[in-house]
Amino acid sequence: MAGVKALLVAYDPKDFPELAEWASEAGVQPVYLAVHEAAAKAGDYAAKLGARVYVAETSNPGSIAWAVEEVARREQAALVAGEAYRNLRDALSRVAAALEAPMATDATKAEVEGDSVIVERGFLSERAVARIQLPLPAVILFLTRFRRPSGEPSLGQGEILRLEPPEPREKRVEVREKPKGGVNLEEAEIIVGVGRGFKSKEDLKLAFELAELLGGQVGCTRPIAADLKWLSEDHWIGISGKRVSPKLYIAIGISGSPQHMSGVQGAKVIVAVNKDKAAPIFKQADYGVVADLYQFLPVLIKKLKERMGKA
Amino acid sequence: MGDIVVLVKASLNPELVRQAPDGSVDVRAIPLKISDIDRNAVEEAVKLKQKLGGKLVAISILTWGPVQARMKDLRLAVQEALAKGVDEAYVVADDSITPGDQVTTASAVKAVIERAGLKPDLILAGEATIDETTSQVPGRLARLLGYSYVSFARKLDVVDGKVIAERDLEDYIEVVEAPLPAVVSVTQEINEPRPPTLLQIRRAARKPIRQLKAGDLEGVTPPKRKILEMRVLQVKRKQVIIEGASLEEVADKLIDLLIQEGVLKL
Ligand SMILES: Cc1cc2nc3c(=O)[nH]c(=O)nc-3n(C[C@H](O)[C@H](O)[C@H](O)COP(=O)(O)OP(=O)(O)OC[C@H]3O[C@@H](n4cnc5c(N)ncnc54)[C@H](O)[C@@H]3O)c2cc1C
Repeated sequence: MAGVKALLVAYDPKDFPELAEWASEAGVQPVYLAVHEAAAKAGDYAAKLGARVYVAETSNPGSIAWAVEEVARREQAALVAGEAYRNLRDALSRVAAALEAPMATDATKAEVEGDSVIVERGFLSERAVARIQLPLPAVILFLTRFRRPSGEPSLGQGEILRLEPPEPREKRVEVREKPKGGVNLEEAEIIVGVGRGFKSKEDLKLAFELAELLGGQVGCTRPIAADLKWLSEDHWIGISGKRVSPKLYIAIGISGSPQHMSGVQGAKVIVAVNKDKAAPIFKQADYGVVADLYQFLPVLIKKLKERMGKA
Repeated sequence: MGDIVVLVKASLNPELVRQAPDGSVDVRAIPLKISDIDRNAVEEAVKLKQKLGGKLVAISILTWGPVQARMKDLRLAVQEALAKGVDEAYVVADDSITPGDQVTTASAVKAVIERAGLKPDLILAGEATIDETTSQVPGRLARLLGYSYVSFARKLDVVDGKVIAERDLEDYIEVVEAPLPAVVSVTQEINEPRPPTLLQIRRAARKPIRQLKAGDLEGVTPPKRKILEMRVLQVKRKQVIIEGASLEEVADKLIDLLIQEGVLKL
């Protein structure tokens, strides 16, 4: 007997091989829906996925929700899955309501067992991990890049079917690309993280000088990127930003909120510089320096230069 | 303008995670507090009420029981919203629907709106809560009510019966327009919530908090998701504070330690 029918929603082209590999491991019978930037690659993937690939050329969550509901109905899918982009959180929460289905987001694992699916996900701002059981029909959003597929799928030719969603209630009137700072934190071996302990954008040059000396890159907490906009958002680390795993993370003027620290759990060594000895970050760091960053960083930079023979 | 509703969750406080001897999360020992981004939603709702008029109502559905042990935290969360300018509040606290899930919460909010005879033109919520971080209740609610839904708004206005918002997405910002009635979820960047003043807190004590049970409501879906297990993630860090007579000494010690760890090469 074939497994549970699953509708897999690809938003970015990278989602196809990830979702396909999960589907074969989980033993579900997949059909795909490609939206947003994945729509342009649907043809390429239809040739490799050996399954039906529906395409809706839209980035509007209302239209995506319509398309998902349409395909789920046509295909009698008991499971809808995708990755946790903001537009899919939006679209699939609407779909989940329409199906009266439970939904799990930010899943790292999911297995189908009988007529339910067992999901693992972070909980309490990722201070904990929960295993939860959702009866089918259910909706799952995996963490983006939740797995590294071993290669491209080669499951033979599939079929492409195009959908034309009706006009949504919510209409886009303007789009603005976000600036990018050209950092690649996922690859960095050393990251200097900056937080609200810095008093001005100007002062960040201390952190940049340290990072440069160490051959590292600069990352930041949410308020530095999102609120103050001192750095572009590709520097933002945490539960709603990047997850990084450098050898060394030096957190400067960062309090250690669970939402930030969940992004640096993969670091081998964490150093914290904070003037408040009661700051929660010291409990989550390997080495702590209780000092004013404005006094300590110049000294650290000077010492490093001396010992590197650069003084 | 019709009413404005704002959703407030008394969330498990992730900064006070408690662990049972077997390594599982001791949920009952973790206090609840208002979810951070709900503060932004309340702030924005008060601002819009001042501009548009109408009654501003907070609704809170208790997810984590037992009710008796949680009422104090739940009231504190709701009172903060009242102090900041919300006119009245409805809370649903019932052990038959705890621990709740998002199916339950969205259906219960809809049921409260119907039972209280509210006609909201606008419903505001935070983009996510601090305990579960799923971002799904506002979207579910919009779908159940047949409202427009605008998620992840970091700027919001209501003009001529339309919501105009800047949606904050991974790679771009998108300005959208949607007709009222609408559900809007806001991000932390939309405003800087001000803590209520003492006077506001005192005045809030006189504002009504109406407490309901599942049996008072129609169409509340019992929770479907079952939590099988919750483990505390162990933070295995050394937690060494480097001390020294001078900052020079501290810096030298730090550099030595990082070389020893093999994470720094000079
Ligand atoms: C749903 C949700 C998602 C979130 N996602 C993220 C996320 O992805 N990433 C993220 O970072 N945050 C996130 N946040 C926000 C998070 O809760 C914190 O508000 C944020 O991480 C705090 O940033 P910070 O440490 O820079 O600032 P603060 O908490 O204000 O800390 C500043 C620190 O600097 C210290 N300091 C001040 N002056 C000095 C000085 N002169 N020298 C040395 N130290 C000094 C202070 O003692 C303090 O500890 C999220 C929040 C929510 C609710």
